[in-house]
Amino acid sequence: MNMKKVYNNLKRSMLLLVWLASSHSLFAQERVVSGSVKDENGNGMPGVNVIIKGTSTGTATDASGQYRVNVADGQAIVVFSFIGYVTKEMAIGTQSTLDVQMDLDVQTLTELVVTGYATQEKKDLTGAVGTVKTKDLIAIPSGTVTSQLQGRIAGVTVAGDGRPGQAAKVRIRGFGSFENNDPLYIVDGVPTQDISTIVSNDIESMSVLKDAGAASIYGSRASNGVVLITTKRGTSSGVKVNYDMYVGTQDPGKGPDFLLNAQEMADTQWLVYDNDATPTETHPFYGLSSNPNPTLPPWAGDTDWYKTITRSALIMNHDLSLSGGNDKSKFYGGFNYFNQEGIVVTNFSKRFSGRFNSEFKVHDRVRLGENLTITGRTGKGVEGNQTEGSPVSNVYAIQPIIPSIITIPVNGISHNFVPGEYGGTGIAPRAGNGANPLAELNRNADDRASDLRLIGSVFMDIKIVDALSFKTTFGGTYQTEYNTDWTGSTYERSENVATPSYNENARFRQDWVWTNTLTFSKTFGSSKLNAVAGYEAVKYGIGREMSATGAGYFSDAVSFRTLNNRASIQSVSGDYFTPTSLVSTFLRADYSYSDKYLLSATVRRDGSSRFGADFRYGVFPSVSAGWRISEESFLSGVDVISDLKIKGSYGTMGNQLALSPQNQFFLFGGAVGDSNYDLNGAGSSALKGFRPTRIGNPDAKWETNTTINIGFDAGILDNKFQLSFDWYTKNTNDLLYNPRIPGTNGAADQPFINVAEMKNTGIDLQLGYKQVFSSDLRFDASFVMTTYKNEILKIAEGLPFFDSGTSRIGPFNRNIVGQSMSEFFGYQVEGLFQSSAEVTGAPTQAGAEAGFFRYANIDNSNNVIDPNDRTSIGNPNPKFTYGLNLGVTYKNFDITTFFYGSQGNDIFNYNKWWLDFWPSFQNQKSKDLLNSWTPTNTGSTTPKASNKSNFSTNTQSVSYYVEDGSFMRLKNLQIGYTMPKSLISKIGLSTARIYAQGINLFTITKYSGLDPDVNNGDDRNFGVDQGNYPLVKQYILGVNIGF
Amino acid sequence: MKKNNLKAGLLFGILLVFGNSCKEEFLEVTPNGALDAKVLATKDGVDALLIGAYAMVDGVASNGFGWEAASSNWVYGSIRGLEANKGTDSGDQPDINPLQQYNEDPTNPYINIKWRSVYDGIARCNSALTVLAEAEASGAVTTAEAESFRKQARTLRGYYHLEAYRMWTKIPYVDENTDQSTLTNDDDIIAKVIADLQEGTSLPNNMGQVGRFNGTVAKVLLAKAQMQMNKDYAAAKTLLEDVIASGTAPDGSPIGLEPKFGDVFDAANRNGIEAIYTVQYSVNDGSGGWNAGWGEVLNFPYKSGGSPGGCCGFFQPAHEFVNSFRTSGGLPLLDFSYNSQPVKDDQGLGVADPFTEDTGPLDPRLDWTVGRRGVPYLDWGPHTGQDWIRDQSYAGPYSPMKQVYKKSQEGQLTEVGNWTSGWTANGYRLIRFADVKLLLAECMIETGDLSGARDEVNDIRNRAANSAGFVKEADGTTNAANYVINPYPASGAPFDTQTNARAALYMERKLELGMEGHRYFDLQRWGIVQTELNRVLAYEKTLRSTLYGSATVGPEDVNFPIPQDQIDITVGKLKQNR
Repeated sequence: MNMKKVYNNLKRSMLLLVWLASSHSLFAQERVVSGSVKDENGNGMPGVNVIIKGTSTGTATDASGQYRVNVADGQAIVVFSFIGYVTKEMAIGTQSTLDVQMDLDVQTLTELVVTGYATQEKKDLTGAVGTVKTKDLIAIPSGTVTSQLQGRIAGVTVAGDGRPGQAAKVRIRGFGSFENNDPLYIVDGVPTQDISTIVSNDIESMSVLKDAGAASIYGSRASNGVVLITTKRGTSSGVKVNYDMYVGTQDPGKGPDFLLNAQEMADTQWLVYDNDATPTETHPFYGLSSNPNPTLPPWAGDTDWYKTITRSALIMNHDLSLSGGNDKSKFYGGFNYFNQEGIVVTNFSKRFSGRFNSEFKVHDRVRLGENLTITGRTGKGVEGNQTEGSPVSNVYAIQPIIPSIITIPVNGISHNFVPGEYGGTGIAPRAGNGANPLAELNRNADDRASDLRLIGSVFMDIKIVDALSFKTTFGGTYQTEYNTDWTGSTYERSENVATPSYNENARFRQDWVWTNTLTFSKTFGSSKLNAVAGYEAVKYGIGREMSATGAGYFSDAVSFRTLNNRASIQSVSGDYFTPTSLVSTFLRADYSYSDKYLLSATVRRDGSSRFGADFRYGVFPSVSAGWRISEESFLSGVDVISDLKIKGSYGTMGNQLALSPQNQFFLFGGAVGDSNYDLNGAGSSALKGFRPTRIGNPDAKWETNTTINIGFDAGILDNKFQLSFDWYTKNTNDLLYNPRIPGTNGAADQPFINVAEMKNTGIDLQLGYKQVFSSDLRFDASFVMTTYKNEILKIAEGLPFFDSGTSRIGPFNRNIVGQSMSEFFGYQVEGLFQSSAEVTGAPTQAGAEAGFFRYANIDNSNNVIDPNDRTSIGNPNPKFTYGLNLGVTYKNFDITTFFYGSQGNDIFNYNKWWLDFWPSFQNQKSKDLLNSWTPTNTGSTTPKASNKSNFSTNTQSVSYYVEDGSFMRLKNLQIGYTMPKSLISKIGLSTARIYAQGINLFTITKYSGLDPDVNNGDDRNFGVDQGNYPLVKQYILGVNIGF
Repeated sequence: MKKNNLKAGLLFGILLVFGNSCKEEFLEVTPNGALDAKVLATKDGVDALLIGAYAMVDGVASNGFGWEAASSNWVYGSIRGLEANKGTDSGDQPDINPLQQYNEDPTNPYINIKWRSVYDGIARCNSALTVLAEAEASGAVTTAEAESFRKQARTLRGYYHLEAYRMWTKIPYVDENTDQSTLTNDDDIIAKVIADLQEGTSLPNNMGQVGRFNGTVAKVLLAKAQMQMNKDYAAAKTLLEDVIASGTAPDGSPIGLEPKFGDVFDAANRNGIEAIYTVQYSVNDGSGGWNAGWGEVLNFPYKSGGSPGGCCGFFQPAHEFVNSFRTSGGLPLLDFSYNSQPVKDDQGLGVADPFTEDTGPLDPRLDWTVGRRGVPYLDWGPHTGQDWIRDQSYAGPYSPMKQVYKKSQEGQLTEVGNWTSGWTANGYRLIRFADVKLLLAECMIETGDLSGARDEVNDIRNRAANSAGFVKEADGTTNAANYVINPYPASGAPFDTQTNARAALYMERKLELGMEGHRYFDLQRWGIVQTELNRVLAYEKTLRSTLYGSATVGPEDVNFPIPQDQIDITVGKLKQNR
């Protein structure tokens, strides 16, 4: 680089600035024009550029949208421009006041999109990039950005989670790995796997990079897609304060309507006695079984357990933001308080967050800045979700006859109960093993999970010459967590906890990134070139954790709960995480010729500590191209098409999330519970032992994910209709997978090897429609559709499948070559045996009798129903998911509705195993049993009520549990009213809007369970409902105020 | 000034980009929280690996092996041998249901976990041997130390293989030199297992620690292997006679018969005189129960409060098993006629319903083996019937007893602060003296020494007949039931013919070692799995029809199928055994 030239350039631009600053004094004859600029809703718009056409004279509107500009004689036109709005040119004439209303740029072609290490105009994009507006995110009241993403971007599948503060599962274009398909999130340049501490109101832009063309610049971490988030910067036009808040209530609803009440349970027991021809006995609750009818004992309750453990719950959010600045500095401060109670009693999540972004122009060519969020959270979770023992699962477990609170004295088997105590399964034999969830929740009410997390970066940006700038960014995250968990002693259960125990655990994690880029940007005639070269070093997964459980506490008092006060140590454990380091160099170049022909190429070379020295580096290139046909002369006469671009990309990406950081090593270790042994026979201590804990693979190498994307973006009829379509195919070769090794190798962790192959194809479709009927009436609609077809091509040499998931009856999901991830596997129920004659004539099936399942004999090679007769019995992958957003603005009123749906996915309703089968524990049962099969009710699909547990009843994974999980849900209905400016300006406000909102008001589904949105959880075994914490209706009132 | 600033800035930038790009060491990480083989190639390191190999003797470990793999074999030995049924309610641990109905298929997860547990034990032995070789080569252990380590590891490996053999018969043999990629289960592996166990017989008797295998343990294991795998009773007889004559427990303490039968199972006596090898359980050691009796934790009466454990009502003794404790003239009814005078039970009765106990003559060992209504249950007071049972209509009226701890031991010999108190220090008696004597008696019968066999059996019966060891009512003196037991007569039946003697021995093992995980493997060795179990099943089905359904024992049910999972993972290199 020639320094002299740089200096000359700099001098020249300095001179220009000086000239500009003094220019107004050079013109004698001028006057002042002033006015206000309003947005489409009639609110003042700050920061709008106001320029006199043909000159460099200009200004920007202030916080309330007002401007003043000097106009010289003969200057006739003022140009108003703002990103995302149609640029307006207005003739001045002789006026001294010029008010303007800006219109949203429906074309949005000038919209800037943040892409990998660059910012591009949307019209120049050649890769598949999805964006979402902050406004759409915050339309859904939730503490996590990920759950707000559901249905908003084509190609992005989001599975909800009803628990307060829980992040939803985000998948971009299917699954590339068996192990971890989380996308890479980059927040202001900082890579992370967790954006749950990011406040959505602080988000300036969010881009999802979906194909190799867009994402492979992130190389080895890109194959699950990359989500880029930038947070709000200040504007250089004075101080602006916004306050947004909402408060609402969450309605648990009626809960499950398919559970038997106490009397029906008793009647069903009598039915079971009959069906099984059980010899006469004295039932512990219902009396002698030879009696014609059961009698309920005096202590019997008829408890609605769902009602008992749920409540109308508060949800509240406050966002206060300050932004502003001048030409030297900009700042943004965002403060958030979010408090969501769970519908399950005692459950809550609170968040405090502060964001501090600033930027300083320390030199004409040098900018310094920083971004920082500090988030503190505290909450009381629920014991697991989708697991046995969680409060929701216990609703399906504990019998209705058990009173939640005892009202009359009862001498139970575990305890003599007095009024006011909790009721429980210890009240009598055969009350089952379900815990009284109310007692559990109250005992655990003081458990806390809390964390503090920092995410931020500092940067320096140097403009070396106009066309070339250098940027260095150092950033990272730091998080500490602290959790407490009390397990109180119980008296009410059949399986009691005799001695209380108390666990405390803590951990910290940190990571850092250092990025350096050189950006070159220049226009040569019709050619435009943007290029970025960079170097990046990353270290992540640094941290430690510890956990200890003490047992035996003299007092239950919260203040007494320390590890010191224990009687004995139950367990102590800890970990020292093995971090991962990455070193990368990358290059991107975006070239366009006359705005018509677009070409882009990226390449990244990554080195990772997760691989052995011989396979450490991987290179990930991509190329993409676009052709804006609408710019061609042969389409200039076609008025219907206002914009049309076709584009395609090809490239490779990698994934190293799957791999353990220790994958290359052969290791020994062992915990107290797996390798220590009491050689001395002491009875209360064990000697330290070791075992092989990991089999290493120093030869693992990068997997390669090759993606092809073809698509087009079109604007029709003056861009009123917008259409964006992408087709993709994504092939992962050398996929890193740790196939289970034969038991004869021992139980050390098996290494990841490059064996598997996977393929995803699909379509992303985005439709938009916008119509301005008049300045009073506008309408807009957008429709987003996501499809993916996932196919496992190979798992490991000769290995056609692997099973995943756990339940009382084993795994339900089998991942099979030639099929999609996580499909359900088991016996196909053909119907119920109607008679013993039918049993005799049918293929041999263990446990078969009239009224039990008859399975399909898939494997005809023998006349026996055996494991070879199992088959795929359902697929939890949806055929497509979609979001539909409709908005109408009429005068000061606005109405928005948002529907989300998932079509063609199956759910494995494991709750039916507990509820529809008498022997699946002596717990709550379902109303299905009232209409179950009997010799006289042969049309039923529910098997005979029987206490027999065998192959033909409840010990297998069978298609009986599989249901259609399709649903469509009204996720949002919002009605807002914007106060007239004239009214609020008197009290110093620039904007004020109030709104009322209903969330999840209805769901259309055939699914019989509480909530069909169950796809959260492991990608290898999702789609199973094991007592899901439901998403419920919410009613919200909110206010948006701007000063 | 300005010029210099800019120049410096640019240089800085170039430095940042290129000055840092080849830091290879940045990409070298140390695996945290673990050790590599080099660090362990010392005397202490090898011993720690050996301790890790001993840690699998209970079958259970927190890295994936629960009660499914318990070496006490309550499922595979006792339930499968029809001494007991699964117990509890119909749907709990449903994978046991097909095992007790003899219609399990190879996908049953229980047998897969057992398989993986046994072979993890073997893998741990092999890793100890591999690291031992390194340590020996480098001089970090002496030849004498190496010899002891090697013998222990090989004996352990032999034990695990014997366990696998009893379960699946056609098994792969794995040692430290095995090439896993070509491993099959086609070979005859018996000689290799025998060789491993033979190696241990030259270990000293006093190993200094009660949890190690010593020469005595190795001899018993070798004798069992010779009987089970080779039918070589003569070889086994020599070994067993040697053990009885001069064997000791691994800490060098003497072995013999505990004077009172019930004391054998007292948690405080876990390393008592009767114990040749007890699997060492430890409680409140920070393992959260994993080193305690995790394998048997389900097997306690279901009544929480006033009965031991707190969970889960599994492993309920069978009616036929209980009936076989009926005596006539103090002797068992070897013609199975005891089922026509069954022991009276409280089936179908509520706790408040009146019940009169059985008054007929009974072997006193019954009430140290089975909990039944009205009879004192250790120091927990009398078993109260239906409220101790999870679902009496499903699994019957009886509770298990031998692994249960005493009320006075709660909190001392049990794990504190958990959902159950059933994690105990009451280590499973893997080899006890009475077992050895009965194995010897069996060898004597098979080699023609019937009177010698009778003496051994009568030693066992005489110990049981010690009236000081009978279960007493609360007064401490009145026998809890009508106990009548005598030794076999010095001449005449049943030790007159080999056939009769066998019947007596088979019965004696049932009465003495019932509920201790041996029965099914005994029947396997005797070649009577199908006939004997179908006989018992016919009776049991009349009482427990919901539980057994239409179960029958077929010719393939003499062992368990090779887990389908293992066949799948090895891509068919392992072949199904049936």
